[in-house]
Amino acid sequence: MQEKVLVIDYEKCTGCRACELACSVFHTGASNPSRSRIRVIKWEEIGLYIPLTCQNCEKPFCVEVCPTKACHIDPKRHMVLIDKNLCIGCKTCILACPFGAPVYDKVEHITVKCDYCDGDPQCVRFCEVGAIKYLDVAEMSGLKQYASAEKYTKALRKLPGA
Amino acid sequence: MNTGRANPAIHSRYPKPQNEWGWQVVVYLYLAGIGSGSFAIGILMEWLGYSPYSLRPMILWGPILVAIGALFLVLKLGIKRRFLNTILNPKTSWLSRGFYILSLCIIVGVVVLGISILPHLGISVSNWSSLLLILDIIGFVLALATAIYTGILIQSVKYVAFWNTSLLPALFTVSALSTGAMAVILSTLGYSILTPSEGYPYQLMNALTLTEQILIIIEAIVLALYLFSRYKAEEYGKDSVRLLLSGNLRFVFWIGIIALGFFFPVILEGIYSRFHEQHFLLFLAGSLLLIGGFFLRSGVVYAGIKEQHPLERLILYQYNLRETRE
Repeated sequence: MQEKVLVIDYEKCTGCRACELACSVFHTGASNPSRSRIRVIKWEEIGLYIPLTCQNCEKPFCVEVCPTKACHIDPKRHMVLIDKNLCIGCKTCILACPFGAPVYDKVEHITVKCDYCDGDPQCVRFCEVGAIKYLDVAEMSGLKQYASAEKYTKALRKLPGA
Repeated sequence: MNTGRANPAIHSRYPKPQNEWGWQVVVYLYLAGIGSGSFAIGILMEWLGYSPYSLRPMILWGPILVAIGALFLVLKLGIKRRFLNTILNPKTSWLSRGFYILSLCIIVGVVVLGISILPHLGISVSNWSSLLLILDIIGFVLALATAIYTGILIQSVKYVAFWNTSLLPALFTVSALSTGAMAVILSTLGYSILTPSEGYPYQLMNALTLTEQILIIIEAIVLALYLFSRYKAEEYGKDSVRLLLSGNLRFVFWIGIIALGFFFPVILEGIYSRFHEQHFLLFLAGSLLLIGGFFLRSGVVYAGIKEQHPLERLILYQYNLRETRE
């Protein structure tokens, strides 16, 4: 179990893509969003922007299909990480991931993915509206419970006679 | 396919075909398919006693094509010099297992081919018959494994609905055997035309043509079953089938796969069975069938649509976009 996770509230995201820039500058030194580990998926017509990155699945499929064991679960940090020196750039993990989280770096010719910037995620620092947060797991699950309880209350209030 | 125009919000998120695996994979699937198929068919023909020993090199050249195909698989990699790293995870990764299957198939196949050339160089191999039989059996099994593996490699990516079925390895295997049989027919025919003194191997050609015709019928049935099952199975599978049958890839399907791969070869072979002297008819039918095999692979690979991410469905429900999608 991880200690801290990235929590994304896509309803707050404005689609400014500062997170992409911050990520690419931190990891590659280049201001190039196409090399970013986080991707904002845009639904322009309904005005919805969803920053997506690795979800660190419990049973990651990218790890299963990786032929070189470059994609592995780090036992210390309980995260899915890609070893730069082993990756051969076969893109199998990209196809296998249901979130499209590993991205192919066209400059380095390998697949890269989010590693929480070694404990200080830059996307969180640069997100002005607070759509991306780096929270303790306990705190996150509390927030989730709170949100679902609120939803449930709203639904109950709508019932006739409530 | 037209729902996108009716609702621009959906159109913007319309699932796009994957572009991670491109032409290199298609060429690999094709060459490995023909190579392994022809090798398996060649060995089978010899076991059944249809092929004279002198024709062996003409029907067993498959492993060379498999080796060339495997090179294309290496070409696909981002860092090509690291291709040996693929041996590291045979426990769960099919790409890794495939490396072992392919290299064994190439090595055994090339050895079998090399031994079959020895009598032509004046070296007798009559004392090695038991060794040859064992090598043949191993080669046959590995060739079949390679043919099946071409499909499994694509199938093992579970999140592409169009590929996630065991009918895909079946389709690729049958296609590998039918294109392989045709390739053996063409090479044998070419050899017998170039060396008229050795005579035309009627028995072998008849057996090969019959095998090929049966295989092409099975292939058509498996293809229909495959497309039907994908259309029924999942939403993105349905999108893929639509893309192939009536979308951007419709020319690849109707002209490349159906017309070149099934329709014309069957008609031309029918005509050839009446006029046995007109060898160019068989050459034409064979070439068209081989081209059709290539289009079959490219159609399947390029029509793979990946589920973008699970949130997409949630949002379709949340914003009531679901009904209009159909």
